[in-house]
Amino acid sequence: MALLLRTHYELARTSIKRNRGRSFLTCLGISIGVASIILILSLMGSISSLISSQVAQIGSDLVVVRPSTTKTAVSRVVDELTSSSMYLKSNLTLKDVATIEKLDNIASVAPLAVSVNSLSGDDDTFLPSVPVVGTNPDFIKIQNLTLKSGTFLKDDAPTATAVIGAKLANDLYGTGEPVGKTLTLLGERFIIVGVLTEVDDPINFNNLDLDSSLFVSASALNKIDNSLQIQQINIRTENTNDLEKTVKTIRETLIASKNGDTNFSVLSGDDITHPAGTLFSVISSILSVVAGISLIVGGIGIMNIMLVSVAERTHEIGIRKAVGASTGNIFLQFLFEALILSLSGGFLGLILGYGLAFLLCLITPFNPFVSWQILAITFSTALLTGLIFGLFPAIKAAKKNPIYSLKFWG
Amino acid sequence: MSEETETIIKLENLTKRFGYGDAASYALKDFDLTVKRGEFIMIMGPSGCGKTTLLNLIGLLDSATSGVYRLNDEPVSRISARRQARLRAKKIGFIFQNFNLIPDLPIIENVALPLVYSGYHKTRRLIRASEILDRFNLKEKEYYFPSQLSGGQQQRAAIARAIVARPEIILADEPTGNLDSHSSALVMSELSRIHSEGNTIIMVTHNPSLTSYATRVIHMLDGSIDTDIKTVADSDLPVPVEKKNRRRPKNKKKSNRKKKTKK
Ligand SMILES: Nc1ncnc2c1ncn2[C@@H]1O[C@H](COP(=O)(O)OP(=O)(O)OP(=O)(O)O)[C@@H](O)[C@H]1O
Ligand SMILES: [Mg+2]
Repeated sequence: MALLLRTHYELARTSIKRNRGRSFLTCLGISIGVASIILILSLMGSISSLISSQVAQIGSDLVVVRPSTTKTAVSRVVDELTSSSMYLKSNLTLKDVATIEKLDNIASVAPLAVSVNSLSGDDDTFLPSVPVVGTNPDFIKIQNLTLKSGTFLKDDAPTATAVIGAKLANDLYGTGEPVGKTLTLLGERFIIVGVLTEVDDPINFNNLDLDSSLFVSASALNKIDNSLQIQQINIRTENTNDLEKTVKTIRETLIASKNGDTNFSVLSGDDITHPAGTLFSVISSILSVVAGISLIVGGIGIMNIMLVSVAERTHEIGIRKAVGASTGNIFLQFLFEALILSLSGGFLGLILGYGLAFLLCLITPFNPFVSWQILAITFSTALLTGLIFGLFPAIKAAKKNPIYSLKFWG
Repeated sequence: MSEETETIIKLENLTKRFGYGDAASYALKDFDLTVKRGEFIMIMGPSGCGKTTLLNLIGLLDSATSGVYRLNDEPVSRISARRQARLRAKKIGFIFQNFNLIPDLPIIENVALPLVYSGYHKTRRLIRASEILDRFNLKEKEYYFPSQLSGGQQQRAAIARAIVARPEIILADEPTGNLDSHSSALVMSELSRIHSEGNTIIMVTHNPSLTSYATRVIHMLDGSIDTDIKTVADSDLPVPVEKKNRRRPKNKKKSNRKKKTKK
């Protein structure tokens, strides 16, 4: 049996070598399909490892409350793409923040009310759209931020104070040390009391660029902006042992205090980054369909070439049958040829796909992602493609009549 | 079995029909033939009388419409397609008028082809093919491609391929048809040597001068035997080297008579 397989492998390899150029082009068809699958899987892998590293970074003791919608996954994805979720009508209030603060096992609670506003600085510099975060003094602890200079917001500050992101400070004042300067937001003057240290990875799980944002007290903001929405309440718990119980308590307490309103969700761990997850799973499934189609096209390429090869080699098939090849021998010879083509195509695609993935990683924050599952998927899809599309030509070759084939000069 | 020599092929009422109904034509009609081991049969006859069809049937490339074909006493209709293929690889060697070498394979691999299908390792296949090519003075041309050889050399390579698996029966369909007289003579002397080693050869030819090599000459007409002349007694047929010892010690010499049957 092993000898038989090896012999057929040798036969197939010889005939592939004979038509190097054609075989290469056929392989290329499969390679492109496999490469796109690899690229997608590797990107999906690196995105999900990015998400879990974000979760690790924000810590397992974080709980967030978000206004929930009854929207479908797809429209949520559309919202995310157009960032309109930022302006979702929210049913969360500063009163809810106060309610949560009073519960057990709560270390700190901060609201997150992001709006985009225009700012003008001391010397009439004007920025048309700056994310303004309405929050409270706990925010700096919850987000694990540090100050480059000055202080963060304080509950009992006498005047309207603001803390500024490092990048925004530069944009607005042309300096990294603007503490004491003032700015005008919605007609109200704010004094800068602190500057945040730049963050490594400024786009966090809220899709908020902290380095370019302005931070003011939510209650101060509420007074001048009556359309202010609290998009999220971030909570750090004291210990993570009974996180689930804390989450449950928060939910029940809020429902009670909001007179039975259940249009919000209390999330922890992976669930916090989940919306990003649905986005990329929708995108990646679309891409997978495209990759699958290109694989089918590659497979049809193999079938086409194999059919041409069978027709061209009719005379050879006649000779082989005359000197003792059985139907099974001819079948295996041509099937092996298709398999070798598709597997080499798969191998080429593996190199191509990872090459592209590494290139992409150079220009994106992703890390290339390699796993044995991806290799197994590649190998098996290539094998399956060769098998499916090699079957028909091999059967056609095997069924040729030797006498007719010997008379045939192709 | 026969007292004298082993019967290797026995055809009884073998008929091959092409087409059906009004379009039906008979390439072979109620054909009877008994071939003993070691015979060298020449088949002659006008074009279209069914010579190639006969060789295809004997060589298991085709099956008869009716009648019985016994190969080594076994009716071939009972042999599976798979085993028929194995028999073609091991027991039967084909030689064709147009050589039928695979143009993309070097001579040595063409010669080794029957061994591919009888379960030899690649190295053993090539060693054996190389040995045979040496016998045919083609050793230095082993790695030439068929197109780089003359017609006579190609046909000698094809003969080498036919005998590489040490078959019992060699079927040659006009092997000298495409060759000049010099190459023909060379090819015939090879076949004659193979025959003298105890092989059974059935050869179709249009050249009457070649019949001197044969032990039996059959003339065909319209799908059946016209004349059948044996020039050598069955008991004087060459014996395979490896089978000589096994043969019954009944060396009761028969007279060297000429047997002639007219149908
Ligand atoms: N596949 C086929 N379909 C129909 N008729 C066929 C087929 N093969 C052979 N025949 C017919 O059978 C008859 C015998 O053909 P065959 O090839 O055996 O002749 P032959 O004796 O070998 O002739 P030649 O000396 O020209 O080679 C011919 O009349 C031919 O037309
Ligand atoms: Mg003929």
